Amino acid sequence: MQIPPHIRLKWQSVVDLLNSDARHYQLLFLSTFFLTGMLSLHWNLLPYQALITFCTALSTQLILIKILKLPLSSLKSSVISSFSLCLLFRSETWWIIIIAAFLSIASKGIFRVKGKHFFNPVNFGICATILLTHQGWISPGQWGSAGYWWFLIGMLGFIVITSAHRMETAFAFLATYALLFGYRILVFQEWPADFFYHQFTNGALLLFTFFMITDPASTPSHKKARIVWAMAVGALAYYLQAYLWVTASPIWALFFLSPLTPAIDYFFKAEKFNWKQTSTSVATI
Amino acid sequence: MKNYRKITSAIFVMALTLVSISAYSFCGFYVSQQSKPIFNKTSQVILVRDGNRNVITMSSDFKGDVKDFAMVVPVPVVLQKSDIKVVNRQMFDDFDAYSAPRLVEYYDPSPCNSIREEVMDKVQASMSYSKDEEIFDQDKKNAKYKVTVEAKYTVGEYDILILSAKESGGLKHWLTDNGYKIPEGAEEVLQPYIQSNMKFFVVKVNIEEQKANGTEILRPLQIAFNSPKFMLPIRLGMANGKGSQDLIVYTLTKNGRVETTNYRTVKMPTDREVPEFVQQYFGKFYVDLYKKNLAKEGSDNVFMEYGWDISGQMQVKCDPCAGNPPMLNGLFEAGVNWISPTSWGGYNGSVYFTRLHVTYNREDFPQDLVFQETPDRSNFQCRYIINHPAQQYGECPEWSNYRDRKKASRRKELKELSALTGWNTERYWEYPSKFMGYSAPLPPDEETGYITPKEGKTNITASPEIDQTTTGSIEEDISNSRINQTAFINTRTPEHKKPIDWGLGFGMIAIVTLASLARMQKKG
Repeated sequence: MQIPPHIRLKWQSVVDLLNSDARHYQLLFLSTFFLTGMLSLHWNLLPYQALITFCTALSTQLILIKILKLPLSSLKSSVISSFSLCLLFRSETWWIIIIAAFLSIASKGIFRVKGKHFFNPVNFGICATILLTHQGWISPGQWGSAGYWWFLIGMLGFIVITSAHRMETAFAFLATYALLFGYRILVFQEWPADFFYHQFTNGALLLFTFFMITDPASTPSHKKARIVWAMAVGALAYYLQAYLWVTASPIWALFFLSPLTPAIDYFFKAEKFNWKQTSTSVATI
Repeated sequence: MKNYRKITSAIFVMALTLVSISAYSFCGFYVSQQSKPIFNKTSQVILVRDGNRNVITMSSDFKGDVKDFAMVVPVPVVLQKSDIKVVNRQMFDDFDAYSAPRLVEYYDPSPCNSIREEVMDKVQASMSYSKDEEIFDQDKKNAKYKVTVEAKYTVGEYDILILSAKESGGLKHWLTDNGYKIPEGAEEVLQPYIQSNMKFFVVKVNIEEQKANGTEILRPLQIAFNSPKFMLPIRLGMANGKGSQDLIVYTLTKNGRVETTNYRTVKMPTDREVPEFVQQYFGKFYVDLYKKNLAKEGSDNVFMEYGWDISGQMQVKCDPCAGNPPMLNGLFEAGVNWISPTSWGGYNGSVYFTRLHVTYNREDFPQDLVFQETPDRSNFQCRYIINHPAQQYGECPEWSNYRDRKKASRRKELKELSALTGWNTERYWEYPSKFMGYSAPLPPDEETGYITPKEGKTNITASPEIDQTTTGSIEEDISNSRINQTAFINTRTPEHKKPIDWGLGFGMIAIVTLASLARMQKKG
């Protein structure tokens, strides 16, 4: 069958668009997760929460673009951030949503050392808003476990397709976190295996592992240092959850260890990540 | 800069559309009170949590020989005598009646005049309890078992031991030798509890004390302790492959709604318009709705049935009220110690009431329930609405119009009923057009496709909820129980995982395929 030329042309332009930036794949994934959450998992988002988040995040980004003279394409990052906020952050008050979205994007402009921001924007936005206002929360239970394998397939597919660079960070974190918990749950406490399995079949953990801690823009630039740093995040997340019963501990662990990034960068010199250099590096939230 | 302007104005337009964010409110109307249980074999627990302080109240409607009663609950600390209380059962009935799913009733205004008659309604509330049993034998050679009796109290009609153990084998033998029987399959969690440094709160009935008290019913037990763990141990009560157990958890917290962090908390469907005749079978209606929802959402979820801000200063503590909202005394008794009485008989202080319903079994619930308190103070209730048709007094031109509209809306109600409960609504074919004197056929049990315990006897093993042990099983004839008392125990929904996988699956596969094709094209 011959494909009509005008369709072929369109297909070509879709392909070119997708390939021009790894963040485009990212957007596809996050929007699928978001739709699943809304339509199938019945998340109780505030009415217009998504719209409020997008408006605030994009406006803040526009201001940053003006001030810091960033390229207009950096808006894509804030669209991704907005999706992640909708996926991870809950609040019952609309102005809390505004604060979270604003802090997320603004943190990129505020916490900068030598032109590099060291907090993951969404991570900072969520944690700072919860600490400051006590009005928001993270709902790790909201994913259930039904769609887990599809999420995992999606994530792995994403990694393979984009031949993502920063996966060692994700695996260093996940291995540390899972080994520590595996030892505690299976070896020390002797729970049945499905207890352990249940702990790790969680959409929020996947999202964190593959899209948040792999953020090339805000994590340490030196590869080996970054791996050690990711292991530290895993260990801290384990400690917070196992001993202090902190909900969504990986997100908090990353928040507390992010300020180490500039120090690590100072001692372990490496070239700073640049979106323009590569379209195959993993995009992050 | 041209692009910059374009994008800025686009965002401005988006923001404009946000201007109309409207608030939700329930309409208020009176509801008469009726405390008939909907679920009859459900255990109930009240959790009060403030900072690290936990108060857990467990109720049981044990009806056998009291010397067969026994209960084992893992607790994080050694409890002092002052931490253990017996409380009034009434509290559970009150909480249940207050938070039960409700049916509200409206009367259509006559199309012939414009006077609005918004009237009243009816409710069936619910409650129910757990079961536990065992023989207690006080003699012990504890050293042999490596079991330490940390403390020993008599509280009300109960003899209580706090045990700690070194290894599960010893504990298991100790329990068996002292007449407890751990449900088959539940012993796999003894070692994990021991290793997690949990103590075991072991209860039997002190016959003398009970006689002295003159009480036939066993009163609920309440324990208070400090621990960062906000959880409810359910694993010990689970037997392998023995069906599901039903549990209702009421939580009272300072800041807001409570949800589970290791399972999905799903709100029950609410504010649905259902046919008039549902009023006659409301209990059965809700039980079938719950089962259908369980099958639809997946049986590994926790369901939220009620959530309301009942802080002292709130004027409206329920709307409509299915039962009286909790009063100062009830809250005190449940363990809410941060409120203070006011001169007018109310209380000062912030309290949020949550009701969660969970039907658990070994397969779907590998972990104990772990909770978190969210700052969400919005109100939620399970509310179903019936609309009575207007009375016809003489003809008017609007009447036939009204009739048509009403017929259409009644057909919609039937569809809703079928969607909610899975009932076959063909038998109600007369309903849309027969406004007056319609008598609805009984909703048959088989239609839902779920197992109902109509066939005769239900085997109740291990008590629901908080891990208890049983000596054998109690057989209870429930064939004579009311139609709305469909027991959940030992029933399993046939389809139990949600079809969510498919939508997401197609999405994922589509993206991955598209992306791989795109990549290949690029390389090629």
